[in-house]
This record gives sequence, C-alpha cells and structure tokens, in this order.
Amino acid sequence: MKFQKHILIVVFALSTAFGFTQNDSSNEVKFETKVSKKKLGVNERLRIDFEMNKDGDNFNPPGFDNFMVVGGPSQSISNQWINGVRSFSKTYSYFLAPKERGNFKIGQATIEIDGEVYKTLPVDITVTAAVEIPKDPNDPDYIVQQNIHLVAEVSKTNPYINEAITVVYKLYVSDNTGVSNWRELDVPRYNDFWSQNIDMKGVKIENGTYNGEDYRFVVLRKTVLYPQKTGKLEIEPLTLDITVDVPTNRRDIFGGRLMQSVHRTVSAGSRTINVKSLPENGRPIDFTGAVGDFNFKVTTSKQTLKATEALEANVEVSGNGNLKLFKLPKLSLPSALEVYEPEHKESVSVNLNGMSGVSSDSYTIVPSYQGKYPIPSISFSYFDLKTERYKTITSNEIVINVDEGPINTTNTVVNSSTPKQQIITSGDQFASFKTKTNFVSIKQPTFFKTNLFWTLFLAPFLAIPIAIIVRQKQETRQGDVEGNRIRRGNKLARKYLKEAKKTLGNKEQFYNALERALHNYLKAKLNIETSEFSKEKIQELLQNKSAEQNSTSQFLELLKNCEMARYSPFSNVEMNQDYDKAANVISLIDRQIK
Amino acid sequence: MKKIVYILTFLFASVTLAQNDETFNKGNALYNEGKFQEAITAYESILSNNVHSAELYYNLANSYYKLNRIAPSIFYYEKALQISPNDSDVINNLAFAQNMTIDAIDNVPEVGVSKFIKGIVNTFHFDTWAIISVSCIMLFVVLFLAYYFAYSTVKKRLSFISSFALLLIAMATLFFAFQKQALDKKDNPAIVFSQESDVKAEPNLRSESAFQVHEGTKVQVLESYNGTWTKVQIANGKTGWIATEDIKLLKDI
Repeated sequence: MKFQKHILIVVFALSTAFGFTQNDSSNEVKFETKVSKKKLGVNERLRIDFEMNKDGDNFNPPGFDNFMVVGGPSQSISNQWINGVRSFSKTYSYFLAPKERGNFKIGQATIEIDGEVYKTLPVDITVTAAVEIPKDPNDPDYIVQQNIHLVAEVSKTNPYINEAITVVYKLYVSDNTGVSNWRELDVPRYNDFWSQNIDMKGVKIENGTYNGEDYRFVVLRKTVLYPQKTGKLEIEPLTLDITVDVPTNRRDIFGGRLMQSVHRTVSAGSRTINVKSLPENGRPIDFTGAVGDFNFKVTTSKQTLKATEALEANVEVSGNGNLKLFKLPKLSLPSALEVYEPEHKESVSVNLNGMSGVSSDSYTIVPSYQGKYPIPSISFSYFDLKTERYKTITSNEIVINVDEGPINTTNTVVNSSTPKQQIITSGDQFASFKTKTNFVSIKQPTFFKTNLFWTLFLAPFLAIPIAIIVRQKQETRQGDVEGNRIRRGNKLARKYLKEAKKTLGNKEQFYNALERALHNYLKAKLNIETSEFSKEKIQELLQNKSAEQNSTSQFLELLKNCEMARYSPFSNVEMNQDYDKAANVISLIDRQIK
Repeated sequence: MKKIVYILTFLFASVTLAQNDETFNKGNALYNEGKFQEAITAYESILSNNVHSAELYYNLANSYYKLNRIAPSIFYYEKALQISPNDSDVINNLAFAQNMTIDAIDNVPEVGVSKFIKGIVNTFHFDTWAIISVSCIMLFVVLFLAYYFAYSTVKKRLSFISSFALLLIAMATLFFAFQKQALDKKDNPAIVFSQESDVKAEPNLRSESAFQVHEGTKVQVLESYNGTWTKVQIANGKTGWIATEDIKLLKDI
C-alpha cells in the first residue's frame, strides 16, 4: 500500500514535472465496444456496450443486421473521483438476440467528441447452435407446462362426409399440482360441420395416463360432428384460462410447501380432419345423402275404407346415422286422391355414436271416390359405413280399397206411420263383365275413297244429261205432228198387214189375210160389225169421218181386188202393188179421219 | 269345285266363330270365379284369331283392373271405346281405372268453331258419312229429274228446292268424311306402359328431361325417330320425346 502511495506520489511528481504531457495523456479520448461474449448459442442473448471516457454527441450505433434488438439502448454515466482524479465514462448498452447461426460482424459505432468523430472497432461474433438452457424447476410457467395438458381427442381423422365423428376435450392434471378454476376463453366454432354438444352433467375427475404417466383428468366437452364438406377441415382449438396452484420453494412454519396461484392460458391445438367423399361408383339415382345404417318402410293406417274418410300413410326411416341431414323420399300418389302436405316428425337422440332414432313423414289422404288406389313402391338409398357400399331399400306396393262411394243425403218420407225406407244408391259401381258379344274381324274393309264409292257418288250425275237428252228427243218427235201421224199410220198399217206380209206370194192366203186386215181395221176405226160391210155403208161412214174421196175410193177398190183375186189369176207383182197400196191407204185414212 | 271351296270356307268360318264364342264364355266363367289371369289368357286367345269386339276389350280391361295393372287396363278400355264410343259401362270403368293413375294433366279445352265442327265430324265413322253422301247424291238426282219432268209449278218448285238441299247435304257429308278421315289419321293415341318414364327435350339420352309421365297416362303420338324415340303430346299440350318401348299405340297399323 505504501509502495503504491509512493508510486502515486512519483507519478504525481512526474505529472507535475511533465504537466503538459501528462495532461495530454489523461485527456486522451477512448471509445470502444465491449461484448458480453463473442460466442453464443442461437437461443442465448448478447449484451453489447459502447463505452467512452468523455461526453460526446451524435451517437450512432451500428446496424445490428443479424440480430434482434431485445433491449436498449440504455445510457449510463459514471463520474468517479479517485484521489482527486476524475474518471468519466458513458455507456450505451444493447441486448441482442441472434436471428440465425453463423459468424457475424458488428460494425462500427460513431460519436462526436469535441468536434471530432471517433469510431469503434468492429467485433466478430460467432453464433452456434442452440444451447440447453437449464430450467428452473421452481418456475411456475415451467411447472404448468409440464403438469397440465389440454387434449382434443378425435375419434376418426379421415371420415366419410356425413359420417359421425366425436371430439372429446380432456384436461390432464398431474398429481402434484391442482387446478382451482377454469374459464373458456375461446369456444371453438365448427365451420363446415353439423355439430351438437353432448351435455356434461357435472365434472367427474377420473384417473388415467398421459404419455405413460399417471394423471387425473376431467372431460370438459364432448361434441358430435358430421362433416358437411369434403377435403381438409380444421377444428378450431379450445382455449382455457386456468388458475393453477403451483408449489413454491417456501415452506410454512409446519414445513408444508406454500402454494402459489398462477393464471395460465392453455390451448388444445387445432386438429385437421381429412374428409373423404362418398364413392361415385354405384351411387343410386335417388341417393339424397343418408349415411349410416337404416331401416325404411311405408305403412298406411288402413287399407279398406269408405270415401271421404281419412287415412294416414307413413314414410319412415329409422336407425343410426345422419337422420336430420337428409330428406325423406316423397310418396307419389294417384291424382284422384286428395293428399295434404306431409307432417314431418323426428325423434332423434344424439350420443357419442351419432344420431339415432326415427324420422318420418306422415301424409293425410282422403279419397273422394270409390275404387282401388295403389300407393306405388318407393325406394330409399343410403351409404352403409360398415360395408362401405350403397344400399337401397324398396317399400312394398300397397293398394287402398275404397269400397263405398259418397252416400247421398237420405230423404225419408214420414207421411205414414211406418217410415218408408228409400233404396240408397251408393254412387257408381264398378260395372261387371259383359256376357254377350258379336265378334267382327279386326281388319274391316273401308268403303270411303274406294272405286265403288266414287262410282256410286258420280254415276248419278250421268243420269241427268242422259234423261235430258232422251226427253228432248221425245219432244222433237212429238213436235213433228205430220210425221207423227205418218209414223202412227204406218205403224198401224204394219200391224194389220203383218199377217198379209207373211203370206206374200201365196195368192189365196194373201188376199184372205189382206181382206181380213182391212175389215179388222175398219172394225177398229169405225166400230162396225162384219155383217154391215157393204161398199155404201163403208163409204158413208168414212166420209162421215171426213176421209177424202180419193182415199175412200182406193180403200174400196182394194176390197174389190180382194174379192176379185179369188176368181182371177193375180201375179206376184200385182200382189206386191196391192200390199203397198193397202199400207198407204190405211195410213192415209188414219191421218184423215177424226 | 269352286262351290266346294266356298262351302268349306264358310263352314270353317262359322266353326271358328263358334269357337270364339265358346272361348269368350269360358273367359267370362273364369272371370266370375276370380281367376283373372286365366281369363286374360282366354280373352287374348280370341284376339289372336283376328277378331275383336268392344265387349271383349271391355272384359279384358276389367280383368287387368282387378289385377291392379293400370296400363293394360286403361289400354283395353280405350280400345273398347274406339269401337263403341258411347258405352256407359266402359266410360264408367275407365274412370275407375284412371283413378289409379298418378299423373294429373289438365285438358286444354277446345273452343269456338273448331270444337263445333269436330263435334259434328266425330258423330259418325267416315264410312257412314260416305254412305250418307252417296245416298244423298242419288236422291238428289231422282228429285232433280222429277223437277225436270214435272208439269205442275208446285211440284217443280218443291222438287227443285229439295234436290238442291240434298246436293248441299251430300257435299257437306263428303267434306265431313274427308275431315273425319284426316282427324282419324292425326289422332294416334298411345298409353304409357312403363311405371315412370322421362320425357326428354330431344330424342337422345343426354338431353334433359322435360317432364315425367307415369303408367296409364294417355298421350298423342306426333312422330317417331329412329324407331327408338317417339314424339308425344300430353293433354295439356306439352310435347317431348319418349322411348318407344315405354308406350303402346292404341291403333294397330
């Protein structure tokens, strides 16, 4: 100590002796960088000090590119007077955390002292891999981390769409800590799921193991989920604020450990569920998304009834699966039935296995007329999870018999003492078979548009012109009076001389016939008897009938010839002349007489 | 020789006719015993002899109705109505059968002159119209000639007026015969036999279905394509293509 004093004295003396230089050296400015360590782990921190022995301005730190500034800058100033000597120091401190591994250089810091700029030297820092930081077993955070676990247990992580899965949240607490209270901070929402919480009645503490160690656990929440979308779906985490009693190092006067209450937030972590779509292969057309194990039936309350009575038809699906999440198949009923909107009923309970129960549609049906009404069979398809196949159940066809039609209002006649009962007809009956028939060939020939038809249709028209022409000819004939007379006379003559003509050439027979013909003609025309034939009588009668003299004399001459011919020879030429003459005379007289 | 053949064919024809009557009675007996399926077999064997009657179709339809087979039942009632359109029993039982059908289609009512004309045209078969027409023509000619040859003015006047009235009637009935035949040709109804059938917008399986028809519904056939598709029209006027095998034509062509 003494030696030191001496030295100090010597130094002081020297300093006084070389005061100027000493003063200079004591006024020398120092500005340097100090680091707490040059080699550190990536999880460690580094303190860096920039120290100067004279106050300056405009401090400018280097860029800490590879580090994160955790704390700082903080300033500290110290003035020391030791044996009258003043030592001054000013320090800027930073706490740095490395961002990554590697060798880094911390650059120069600058400062302005007395108008001059000073710089520090760069420093090399090596950042190594993380080093293990020894844990403090009494740190409450550490204790909570080690002893309390919130776990979400998912029954199946790759279910089919619409397959029930359950999420159970369990809080595991080890034996040496205690949880006095908890509060749900964030209740998970299940987007893209149909979810239902299962009510937990009270809290039951059970014993179980977690990672091979004994724990007590509490089931906080049970949820049944039906995924409604395929793909990766996330279940949001459940976050709890729990009050934990943590043992401390301190002990009470009895030697027991003192417990400390700490609030901590624990979270179950989010879970991802991969939802598979149902296979396309073999999907029935009427599949509406039912997944599970089901029974299907269609029932009616009655099968025989009267018209206007009501009847109920029930379409019912029972079993296990997403009962609330699909539509029941619709009944297609005959249009003659009056059908009301179906009433939907569900009695479904939800437990950890999913939904189970009965879902049904009940239709109220009122037939208005009698008859038979079939309720056609309908089918229901679902995806069976056990066999991973689609299944279809088809209901039986039901026939409803309405055997009585609407009954007419009865009018009873109450005139007599014994009321008469009217016969009540119960509407129309289904008529029975017919007993008699006449069979005809299936292929019947048609009449319309056949040739026969057209002939019959058009031929009558031809009759009109024909009739008209015939008529016209007749009229022209009738119009020609003279010709008509000639024709009539000729006709008459031919008629009477027919026999005479036959015997032409045979003299006796010819003249006999000719005479007879002339007599007959006279008989017919003049109404005289054969006995009255005499020339005078004939002449008189003919003249009375206004026949001309000439023709009368010719007629008489002919008669004379007939008589003469009996006794004298007559040639064939004369016979012919007489025949022609007779024909002429007859037609002539016929024209003249009236 | 020819005479013998005639006699033989006549005898043969009368024998088969007698046989048909016998089968018909047998079918009725089976029907009455409730053996409807066997009754159907009996009735249908008559049809295979190329003879038919409204009563046969009616009994056949009744048997099918009793067996709850909607489509054939309606089919044969309609057949019976084609032969005797005003049979009240057939109309009554057809209503029963139509109760069983699922489709309810509103009829589009026809209005005005076309309904009136159709009503008249449909009163007779076109052959009947043709016969009326031909007889009117014949009467017309007779009366016209009577007018032509008659002497008294009253007779002439009467016969002239009545003959021209008859000519008008003849022309009108001829027109009706043509109309009736055209209507018959256009009217080509069919019954849907499949339980449920999609009516498509186009005659292929890809196209979307326009509507659905069910068993027993009556449709009008408009045209057919490829033999596998038929364009049909339902009573409310909607049209579409249906698979040919799903329907059965009421007329055998």
